[in-house]
Amino acid sequence: MDSGKIHRRKQASQNFVFTLFTLMSASIVLVLFVILGFIVIRGLPAISWDFLTKMPEDGMTKGGIYPAIIGTFCLMLGSMIFAFPIGIMSGIYVHEYTKDGILKRFMKAMTNNLAGIPSIVFGLFGMSLFVNDLHFGDSILAGSLTLGLLVLPVVIRTTEESLKAIDNSFRVGSYALGATKLQTIRKVVLPMSLPNIITGLILSIGRISGETAPILFTVAAYFLPKLPHSIFDQVMALPYHLYVISTSGTNIVESRKMAYGTALVLVLIVLILNLLANVLRRYFGKKVKMN
Amino acid sequence: MTTTHSHLDEELQLLKTDTLNMWKLVRQQVEKGKEALIQHDKDLARQVVAVERRVNAYELKIDRDCENIFALFTPVAIDLRFVLAALKINSNLERIGDIAEGIARFVIDIDKQFDPELLKVARIVEMFDMSNAMLLDAAQAYEQEDTRLARTLFKKDEKLDEVNNEASYVITDYIKSHPDNIRESLHILSMIRKLERVGDQTKNIAEEIIFYIEAKVLKHKEPNK
Amino acid sequence: MVKDYVKKPKVMAKDVNLYYGDFHALKGITLSMEENTVVALIGPSGCGKSTFLRCFNRMNDLIPSTRITGYVMVDGKDINDRSMNVDELRKNIGMVFQKPNPFPKSIFENVAYGLRVNGVKEAKFIEERVERSLKQSALWEEVKDKLKKSAFELSGGQQQRLCIARALAIEPSVLLMDEPASALDPISTAKIEELIYELKNQYTIIIVTHNMQQAGRVSDKTAFFYMGELIECDDTKTMFTNPKHTRTQNYITGRFG
Repeated sequence: MDSGKIHRRKQASQNFVFTLFTLMSASIVLVLFVILGFIVIRGLPAISWDFLTKMPEDGMTKGGIYPAIIGTFCLMLGSMIFAFPIGIMSGIYVHEYTKDGILKRFMKAMTNNLAGIPSIVFGLFGMSLFVNDLHFGDSILAGSLTLGLLVLPVVIRTTEESLKAIDNSFRVGSYALGATKLQTIRKVVLPMSLPNIITGLILSIGRISGETAPILFTVAAYFLPKLPHSIFDQVMALPYHLYVISTSGTNIVESRKMAYGTALVLVLIVLILNLLANVLRRYFGKKVKMN
Repeated sequence: MTTTHSHLDEELQLLKTDTLNMWKLVRQQVEKGKEALIQHDKDLARQVVAVERRVNAYELKIDRDCENIFALFTPVAIDLRFVLAALKINSNLERIGDIAEGIARFVIDIDKQFDPELLKVARIVEMFDMSNAMLLDAAQAYEQEDTRLARTLFKKDEKLDEVNNEASYVITDYIKSHPDNIRESLHILSMIRKLERVGDQTKNIAEEIIFYIEAKVLKHKEPNK
Repeated sequence: MVKDYVKKPKVMAKDVNLYYGDFHALKGITLSMEENTVVALIGPSGCGKSTFLRCFNRMNDLIPSTRITGYVMVDGKDINDRSMNVDELRKNIGMVFQKPNPFPKSIFENVAYGLRVNGVKEAKFIEERVERSLKQSALWEEVKDKLKKSAFELSGGQQQRLCIARALAIEPSVLLMDEPASALDPISTAKIEELIYELKNQYTIIIVTHNMQQAGRVSDKTAFFYMGELIECDDTKTMFTNPKHTRTQNYITGRFG
């Protein structure tokens, strides 16, 4: 077979595969646009200032979803307060302090397992422990703790991966100057891994805002006439609200418009958080000036 | 691109300084030798012999330093040629020192003043002066990297050869008319031969200087250089 | 072997054995170094010279399952003694690595890092020290107008000089250099060698190098390692003109290794 033929064959197979990849990538983008488009088209009519700032009225067929938005933010804040410090510190501990060996492998395996537990199981656990045994009742506290547990493995893993990405030569250079391990982590390693950690954190918040199962039995209420004023109060939340409007409620068809509106708001929150993640990442990245 | 003054530069500079110091000693030996002969000053002649020890010490030191420079710095190009030249100039100077010492021993050996007439016809003072001048010029050429000056030494050496060639005839004549002074005459003849060799050694030095500065090898070449 | 009758050694190892797990990396090394000298450690890859270097600031402690026996002394103290504070030890011993590893901070902050980490707070003092260290490592003129810029904007040779300045800032008395110029171009290498030659007057320097000519140019004494053993240590002049062991001669002449 002459070299010309071989060359043409190679070229042809390359073109084929390249086209395949392009089509697949395009199809993913397409799917995303279809979903978004769907929600935007159906949800946009429902969006108005009133929608975002008023309480629901008339059996969810009119009014707004203000309390659900507030509720979601409360839960986000609560689970952040619980999961982030513990998660980051655990991640630092596992990666920087534990020696390679059985203990380290065990901890990593446990983290992974925790990440794999279905969210409804978290919900059930949360209900049993926080709501019932600890007598917090259906509350922001219980909900935040449950959601916090849900994202904890993600935070730990993100932190670990970000720390792992930092080349060891920086640590070694710091030790050689007489810095302690803690100083090295605080002054060199952590600042360098911050962009990645923050990205991970923000993405996990995005996830929190959308989880329904964990808040099902621990905090969410369908309709509350008042806004919460303590962590022991129940609260409305966007994903739950979406679920209930679409399936039960007094007038499903009429509420349909509100349902799409809720979905749109939820999606927008996630998109905005992702955007924020990018901006923050770039900002911290510049500060740190990685090669 | 800026040239930096390095560790190697320091070592090369030290080598040059040592060589020039050795040169000074050797020149002194030749000058003192001349004075010792004319004044018949045996003390001066003994000084020349004593200095020889220092000259030898310099030779050993310079040899060792060159070896170290080769081993530690692996010099190339002009640095390499410089060190190679320094090695050779070192042994040339040492031989000149030996020759000067030999001349001084002749002076010590004779108890009375040499006959001025003998000195005149043999033109030995001239030869001394020429050798001295050549040594001085060579030292200057080395210190200032002046190859033009180095080249003038070839002609000067020819002058020395002239006097040397005449010497056996001139001295034979003298001996015929002064049969009591045969021993001195033979000594003078030997001294002339030695001074001619000083000229040769100095000419070799000049060749080495031109080699290290211009990378031209003039050894064994035809006379019109 | 090195004979030190008159001067008390600044740094010394006596019968040091080091194991990485089961691997016997250093076999009974005895070596001492006087103050204000440069000692070069040479030998083929894997012979233990970098491992030995790291003994002096206990950086081998960072490698798991390392075990060391024998006596390692700096400034008269046994550094492996239980009472020795490792961080204090490392403040007195600067280290420069093969691949320049400046922190992703500004040039100024890189040099100031050692000071800050050791509790120095006074801004003026830090400024002066940073300037002095950068001058010592012959980098000041090139960076004095851009101290706030990132260290990564410097070239490889400049980064390495920055790392040297960083090490010098905390005023160590001993400098350990692990093949400091092997990742650099010839001109940067020459600059670093000149630097070492000048720093010798104030510091005691141990340098690992796989480049023999570098050892010749830069060091007062040279120690030849082979397969974890110290084969020969002597004045560099002697090592390079007339070494005592055949193996040393074979290595130096390039006939093996």
